[in-house]
Amino acid sequence: MTSAEIMSLLPLLVLAGAAVVVMLAAAFFRSHRLSLTLTLVGLVAAFASLPLAFAYTPRQVTPMLLIDGYALFYMGLLFAASFVVALLAYGYLEKGEANPEELYILLLLSTVGGAVLVASSHFASFFLGLETLSVSLYAMIAYNRTERRAIEAGIKYLILAGVTAAFLLFGMALIYTDTGTLAFSGVVAAAAVRPSLMVMVGLGMLIVGVGFKLGVVPFHMWTPDVYQGAPAPVTGLVASMSKGAMFALVLRYFTPIPPLERQGLFLVFTTIAVLSMVGGNVLALIQDNVKRILAYSSIAHLGYLLVAFLASGPAGQLAVAFYLVAYFATTLSAFGVVTILSTPDHEAERLEDYRGLFFRNPRLAVIFTITLFSLAGIPPTAGLIGKIFIAAAGVQASLWFLLIVLVLASVIGVFYYMRIVITMFRRPETEAAQQALTGLPRGASVALAALSVILVGLGVYPVPVMTIIENMVARLV
Amino acid sequence: MIVAFYVAAGVAVLSTFLVILQTNAIHALLYTILSLLSVAIVFFSLGAPLVAALEVIVYAGAIMVLFVFVVMVLNLSPETEGVDRAWLQPRTWTGPVILTLILIGELVYILMTRAGLTLEGAAIGPKQVSLALYGPYLLGVELASILLLAGLVGAYHLGRDALD
Amino acid sequence: MAEIPTQYGIILAAILFSLGIAGILIRRNIFFILIFVEVMLNAAGLAFVVAAARWGQADGQVMFIFILATAAAEVAIGLGLLLRLHHLFKTLNVDQASDLRG
Repeated sequence: MTSAEIMSLLPLLVLAGAAVVVMLAAAFFRSHRLSLTLTLVGLVAAFASLPLAFAYTPRQVTPMLLIDGYALFYMGLLFAASFVVALLAYGYLEKGEANPEELYILLLLSTVGGAVLVASSHFASFFLGLETLSVSLYAMIAYNRTERRAIEAGIKYLILAGVTAAFLLFGMALIYTDTGTLAFSGVVAAAAVRPSLMVMVGLGMLIVGVGFKLGVVPFHMWTPDVYQGAPAPVTGLVASMSKGAMFALVLRYFTPIPPLERQGLFLVFTTIAVLSMVGGNVLALIQDNVKRILAYSSIAHLGYLLVAFLASGPAGQLAVAFYLVAYFATTLSAFGVVTILSTPDHEAERLEDYRGLFFRNPRLAVIFTITLFSLAGIPPTAGLIGKIFIAAAGVQASLWFLLIVLVLASVIGVFYYMRIVITMFRRPETEAAQQALTGLPRGASVALAALSVILVGLGVYPVPVMTIIENMVARLV
Repeated sequence: MIVAFYVAAGVAVLSTFLVILQTNAIHALLYTILSLLSVAIVFFSLGAPLVAALEVIVYAGAIMVLFVFVVMVLNLSPETEGVDRAWLQPRTWTGPVILTLILIGELVYILMTRAGLTLEGAAIGPKQVSLALYGPYLLGVELASILLLAGLVGAYHLGRDALD
Repeated sequence: MAEIPTQYGIILAAILFSLGIAGILIRRNIFFILIFVEVMLNAAGLAFVVAAARWGQADGQVMFIFILATAAAEVAIGLGLLLRLHHLFKTLNVDQASDLRG
């Protein structure tokens, strides 16, 4: 391993090192504050090492990892998401959990898994990154180990993740039998020449594994239950990081497969996208549990992302990258609000819990309103700009049917987002419920405020982020 | 060698099938272990002695033993006898069996129409695997250890505070 | 060893994989479902080793070792969750241990 390779791996090394340091600190000094501080420092250091690593890109470090601008951009996104989740988790865990330090270790390890996933160029690193992310999530979802719902959510997620991982592996094995290589470039090359039935079936089984992680229809069944049962900050992590990391990988490696062969894949992904957009939005209409509404909404958003993915080309990639940034900010902000209002004993998940929020804490209500506007795609938020990018890419690729579905689905979406907004502004019935909500955790509040600024900022002035994306990301085939 | 492959394959399929029908947890585990051991023999007949050994030591010897511990802790055997028998009505298993047969049929079809798959001659022993692990798959080994760390921390957190 | 066609090896893996799926669909006890997840992962590993033998490479065996590590980590957490589930719900039945609306 040359020094250049080690330098390009720096973000991963720093992150893994941080995880070990936090673990040692938790072993010797049981201090919640110390764990949080070390976690945040580790994430900042990893983020700071990204430009250092960028100098050594693009670099294929062993057949496993391909470190380039694309990978580093998405790593940065994952680190930022982890940072926010750590801040949110601190306030949440302070209110109840007796042993909070382990969450931070698992958080860092899951980020390592996600970072490996976005940089992988080989089935082995794909699988290992995915499983590191998943295994960390199992314990994080079930973190409130005395809560029935958390344990149930955890075991449901574990079983489904295990089954789909087996599908993923079997698909990989079929492809390997046919092509003799486990590197992505080999698979792409095999699919470029007339692909055999075995490779197609293998890809199909691969999509089962991928689809589960993305939470798209018809692999979405776990999403509402897990979102509801898991602690709110962990739900934010699952919604943003685990879906985002997998999507970054899918974009990188399914795109270069040439159009002739993509007919079959195209049809499959189109079906998945349409079902997700429609299903997600329609099913959210009948929910009255805020976490489940957000779960179905995220299914729909992954559908929108798939439209951009299907558009492909530089416009499509720009749309995906921008929408992912917007989606991360929006999702973390939404679950941040839920987290701030929750404790490990009582999650703020019913719609009733949000009634009259404006009168109890106006700032929080405004933040949530901005977030919901962004989810619905109402100006002047990042969500709208993201949808515009997707529409532009779709027009360029002439995906008319998908675009019509996207617009219609978005309109349906507005209904249930507005329901939540209206609930927040209605006066609560009892006087007791009208008390002001004070004493909210500082770190989480600051994080939420920053996210709101980002959401509106991106909606009004998206150019800086677009420039970054164009420089780092849109140089794919 | 060929005979060993076919016999072991048959035992593996049969014992895995029998696991589905067991109501007693320990019996099911025993059939599973039997299936894993026959797969180890299959590995050996394919010329992969290292993974054959690993299958026995780690899969059958460690992972399945964890299951046995859980059976003992939870006292599963008497409980599952009665409860699960009710679930083995034809109504329950007809659907999954049909789906399974379709799946197997489909995979067999795909494989039989794919011509020209024959195995190379030599056995791939521990030396080649080790060279691969220390060479191109170095990062993979490190990642695997991080994965196990995540499993460790997670299991530790879930196992804290004795259950009363 | 050279006389065993690869097809039969992969077919064996496919049969074991499908039996694992059937088991998960049929059995309603989470303990048994976890066993079948292990069976499925093992079948996938078998497929990798067969493929590696076909190409004369060590890569498939390396993947099998990684699958082994994953299965171990997953089982550890899965069984931990199982114990907690039993403690909280007093049952291991999938349909009965269900608070969350499906």
